[in-house]
Amino acid sequence: MKKLLLSLLVVVTIFAANGAVAAADLEINTPAIAALKASMQTRHGQLSPFYSSGAVGLTKDGMIAIKDANAVPLKDRGALNGLVSAENADRANLYKEIATANGHPEWQGDIQNTFAGRWIDKAQGGWWYQGAGGWVKK
Amino acid sequence: MLRNATIACLLLLSQNVFALSQINIQIGALSNESIEARNVNINLNLKAVPTVTLKTELKQPADKAWAQAQMRCLLPVNLTQDVWNCTDGKFTAPRINLPFALEVTPQPKGFAANLNLQGANFSDEAGLHAADKLTGHLAVVARQDGDTLHFNSALNWQSGEVFWQPLYFANGGHELQAAGSLRGDVLTLDNATLKLDKVGDLKFSGQIDIKKYNIQRLNADLPNLNLAEAYPLLFKPFLGKTLLNDADLNGNAALSVTVVDSQLKTFKINLKDANIDDKNHKFAFYNVNADIPWSYDDATKISFSYENGQLLNMPLGRTNIGTEVNRYSLVSPEITLPILDGAFKLSDISAAHINDNWYWHLRASLTPISMPDASRAFKLPIMQGKASAEIPLVTYSGGILTTDGEIVLNVFDGQVKVTQLTMINPLTDAPKLSADLTMRNLDLGELTRTFSFGAIEGKLDGDVQGLEMLNWKPVKMDAKLESSPGKYTKKISQRAVENISSLGGAGAGAAVERSFLRFFKQFNYEKMGLSCKLHNDICEMSGIGSTPGGYVIVKGSGIPSITVLGYNQTVSWGELIDRIKRVIDGNSKAIVK
Amino acid sequence: MKKWLVGLSLAAILPACVTINIYFPAAAAEKAADKIIDEVWQLKQGQEGAKPTDAPAGKPADTPADAPAK
Repeated sequence: MKKLLLSLLVVVTIFAANGAVAAADLEINTPAIAALKASMQTRHGQLSPFYSSGAVGLTKDGMIAIKDANAVPLKDRGALNGLVSAENADRANLYKEIATANGHPEWQGDIQNTFAGRWIDKAQGGWWYQGAGGWVKK
Repeated sequence: MLRNATIACLLLLSQNVFALSQINIQIGALSNESIEARNVNINLNLKAVPTVTLKTELKQPADKAWAQAQMRCLLPVNLTQDVWNCTDGKFTAPRINLPFALEVTPQPKGFAANLNLQGANFSDEAGLHAADKLTGHLAVVARQDGDTLHFNSALNWQSGEVFWQPLYFANGGHELQAAGSLRGDVLTLDNATLKLDKVGDLKFSGQIDIKKYNIQRLNADLPNLNLAEAYPLLFKPFLGKTLLNDADLNGNAALSVTVVDSQLKTFKINLKDANIDDKNHKFAFYNVNADIPWSYDDATKISFSYENGQLLNMPLGRTNIGTEVNRYSLVSPEITLPILDGAFKLSDISAAHINDNWYWHLRASLTPISMPDASRAFKLPIMQGKASAEIPLVTYSGGILTTDGEIVLNVFDGQVKVTQLTMINPLTDAPKLSADLTMRNLDLGELTRTFSFGAIEGKLDGDVQGLEMLNWKPVKMDAKLESSPGKYTKKISQRAVENISSLGGAGAGAAVERSFLRFFKQFNYEKMGLSCKLHNDICEMSGIGSTPGGYVIVKGSGIPSITVLGYNQTVSWGELIDRIKRVIDGNSKAIVK
Repeated sequence: MKKWLVGLSLAAILPACVTINIYFPAAAAEKAADKIIDEVWQLKQGQEGAKPTDAPAGKPADTPADAPAK
């Protein structure tokens, strides 16, 4: 009986250890994620001035949105709009890819929520983000 | 209607007690369900030219800020019959500035009005619906008949730019004419025409419940659409990250649509000598003619043809496609796409659009096409031979394309077979491809000449298991190349030995030159082979045998015998590709010299 | 009746909360998010930026709630 208990304990410990190891890191080194990162990194150069000017802000669901494009000439707003939708398409894909890369497609929503908070935390001062009551300047 | 109205009336009498020169009416606040007004100020000036000036603050109940509105009208002699001429009209609010002039003629049970906007600006808070220097004219004739309001209106947008997400109009020149009636919540358009400058005229009529946003019926007809003008203005903004979002279009199209109860009932698209040219050169179709009718209730036959074009640099010949469409599914017995000197034949095609996803399957075969032409088209070194394919079943479901059967390329006197070919999102920015490849008896002489690699005589077999490509670059595979079994001449030139060695890193190739072996131009070999297990951008390399700390790439035979060993067990894939490129470039340059 | 309702809704909510919290590796996800954001936004202090979640500064907020119970 003691032996059984001991072996059970060992098994449990092994599982616990495995669990701890598995929880330590999420798999984010897949080619699909790399491709998305590269595409977003390139786009960031174009988006960055719009974050600073307040034309574009970070939404509370981990996406971006046009906050106030009034300073952007009308003829360039279509392009800005395209930039924002392309970024959001990449972000949605990124959340999905991370979830599937880790074998849990159902995590997509949680991952998106996690990112939402981190994007805002890491945003530069002066950028705008969506708080509970609307747009807030950081 | 009036929930709250406080009225203060003030009569200002002039010095002449008997002549009333001014009447000023002030109303503190007025409101109903849809609009609130405050500080309403009506001033009647009864001098030689009698005028009435109205000034007020307005807002909708949900708004925070108040808007200012004002205008000054000449009082006509007969108030109920003559023209009211109002000028100096102005409507201002945060981000809104609408200067206007208004002319209203009272008519029995109605009115005729002309509104002129002169250099108006407006924008919503986010700037997604905005106009700048807008000048235009709106004429409305309205008449109340029982519970029905009849109207006839014409809107003429003369100049000024407008951004109405996602559409952008740089200039005016557009007109909208609409005649119809409003009864309760139902708007009936008997006859409406939208003239878009240079693009085309859209005629439409129908009935819409404006409260429920329900289109009870709608007929729209656009008989002559200029694609070159319409594409950037109307189509491109909606195409986002799709394939068609960066193309040059020209030619003509005709469109017609009918909608009943907010449900698309029929549409018809005609293309007349249209040209579609992707700016990224992924595809092009020239002289496209199409007749695409569709009906919710009945099966239709569609036809689509083009004179020529290209797909991923592969020239396409004249093609006619005829298909039967039954609501959301499509069947066609055979489609032949001429490519180079052969053709891609699709048969037993059936496709269905279910829940926003396409599902289709078909049989495909590629009648032999010449490899020299194909390699020129793909800008590859010129390869000899023919390529053909027989794929009994191609299935596409939820963005994934899978194939049963094999694609056979007869190249380099041998054969390359591609099996288990699967593509995920093949036509997007991040296409994923997986496949297995088997190569048998490739002639090394031809192969090394084609790719400007030092001459090797012999035959090569290869097996690539679990090849995965992302964006057409290999990211994972288990590849093995090895001399084919059997008896044949096996000779390797000194240059090839150097090249193989230099794949191991800079300097390694020079070893041969330094030794006495430099006096021999070629050597016999017994066997050669190299394998690479690619994962995470790292290639785990091995050869046909192992030695302490290394592996054998070429095993020599006879005298002098030369054996090439590899010591790098892991090589960065990018580095390896760079080295191969350098070798090929170096050799091709050497030949030019 | 009311108690019963409260009990039922608690029973419905509690397991849901517990499963999600245990199942979804929130800390690992934050770490992954930080890494990716640093790369996308090219934040130079990438490594330092990712640390504060583990740093002592971040902890006190969490511990006091747990400590008295133990």
